[in-house]
Amino acid sequence: MHRHKGAAWAGLAAFVLIAALCSISIGPGGFLHISRTVLVFRLLRLALGIMAGGVLSLTGAALQGLLRNPLVDPFTLGVASGAALGASLALLAGAGTSLLLPVASFAGALFTIVAVYFLARIKGRVTVTGLVLAGVIVSFLFSSLVMLVMVLGHRPMGQAIYLLMGHLGVAFTRHSLWLFAGSSVVMLAGCGILFSYSRELDIMSSSEETAKSLGVDTSRVTKLIFVVSSVLVGLVVSFTGAISFIGLVVPHLVRMMFGPAHRQVLPGSFVLGAGLLLIADIGARNVVPGGLPLSVVTSLVGVPFFIYLLRRRF
Amino acid sequence: MNAIEVLDMDFGYEQEKLFDCFRLEVKQGEFLGIIGPNGAGKSTLLRLIAGLLKPEKGRINLLGHDLNKISRKQIARIAAVVPQESFFAFDYTVEDIVMMGRNPYLGRLQQPASVDYDKVNNVLEFVDAAVLRHKGINEISGGEKQRVVLARALAQEPELLLLDEATSHLDISHQHSILRILAQLNNQGKTIVFLSHDLNLAALSCSRILLLHHGRQVACDCPERVITPELIKSVYGIEPLLLRHPKTGRPQVMLPSPILPKSIP
Repeated sequence: MHRHKGAAWAGLAAFVLIAALCSISIGPGGFLHISRTVLVFRLLRLALGIMAGGVLSLTGAALQGLLRNPLVDPFTLGVASGAALGASLALLAGAGTSLLLPVASFAGALFTIVAVYFLARIKGRVTVTGLVLAGVIVSFLFSSLVMLVMVLGHRPMGQAIYLLMGHLGVAFTRHSLWLFAGSSVVMLAGCGILFSYSRELDIMSSSEETAKSLGVDTSRVTKLIFVVSSVLVGLVVSFTGAISFIGLVVPHLVRMMFGPAHRQVLPGSFVLGAGLLLIADIGARNVVPGGLPLSVVTSLVGVPFFIYLLRRRF
Repeated sequence: MNAIEVLDMDFGYEQEKLFDCFRLEVKQGEFLGIIGPNGAGKSTLLRLIAGLLKPEKGRINLLGHDLNKISRKQIARIAAVVPQESFFAFDYTVEDIVMMGRNPYLGRLQQPASVDYDKVNNVLEFVDAAVLRHKGINEISGGEKQRVVLARALAQEPELLLLDEATSHLDISHQHSILRILAQLNNQGKTIVFLSHDLNLAALSCSRILLLHHGRQVACDCPERVITPELIKSVYGIEPLLLRHPKTGRPQVMLPSPILPKSIP
């Protein structure tokens, strides 16, 4: 059925390469007439875009498989807004570029996923719909709390908007650069852990009971994937803020290319997500002077796609 | 050795107790039918035996292994479940689905080897689904899907096959083909537990039938002694007509006519 996996991989690689070249060369001054500083700035932006797009998409793919729900991603579960709330509290505490920022962001993500899990737990059972509903509600609440925290802390509104709607224009300092390097290593390790659960995810996409009878310890796998996903989303959000829909859309596109097996879908989502976020970022920073939050661009594409999925009944 | 031992088991949902000190022994190589009205606890019993639910008290042994003391993978190598209906969130190929039955034999990071592919081929041929191998699981018919799910269960190389209403949604031709496969497996020595609402199918295929009512064992004996008008009436509340299968002599039931005789004008 899916015989052209090699060609699909080659296509993906070419796409990311082109996206990366465009990301570096498109902008004021083009590619040839920019200073070294601008080039370094764009390269960092490129690295951040690759990590954010890749990690969010891979996490989205893992959560969709785990929860047997094609409409789930770090945002519908509220994890991203939980991470944003953690980050906003850390910013208020003056943790501009310290380790506290990603740690608080991760704590916010983990707290959210646990809270959502228990909210959705009715009579000892967690249903897929209950989980998503709880995630959406918690997401609304936490987005509002982020605004509240930022206003109470006399922070500029722009910062709050970037935190809730994402951006790649991070002004790196020497210190935050080290933080980003360290976080990237942790994120790649986290992606590796999720990848190592590919077969369990395949099996769990039928039903929890079937997965158990096929020998999968479903409650352990669920907890582990929740924790690793919180680490991943927490780290991404601590740098870029919350970026919508990328984690929802990308896994579907990758399944169209490779079929549903997570051994392909997870790495494929990382690569395609990285490339697509770079393209979205080119739009976000070049269409309007001063730039747009990333979620403006990703939502304009993501929402019609979401509606399509809904109409097609997944 | 007994394939299944349920020892003084208690189980209930919420406040309501379903099984109270329930006992059951199934020998290796048996073909046990479980029948009973809705809410009798058939499905619950099957899930307890499969380790999907935990008894509140008592113990369940499969081939002498206490279910509480062995891992999910170990259970999956002993017992496989075929549910009434299966849901697939994504369109895996038939081969992918059957390969999932090899999970109990694969280490965390281990990929399926040629021995696993051979096994998958064998079971697909055994259930007569080899031609479906590269089809998507959501593109094939319900009857074909059920054969594929049976193949996945067989790929687990289980001693025990637990079927939960596995033939209820199928037309008679697919029902027949599943039952023929089960009979063949039973001849090879596999223990089969066949849960069904269809008394005739159970009477036709099983060597012993357990009749459940409100979590209690009403009878557990050969079909001739369980499918009797008295026992059926006492549990289901209607009195059936009893016939013999012309070829096997097994009891078969027919419903009393629901149509009232028309008065002649």
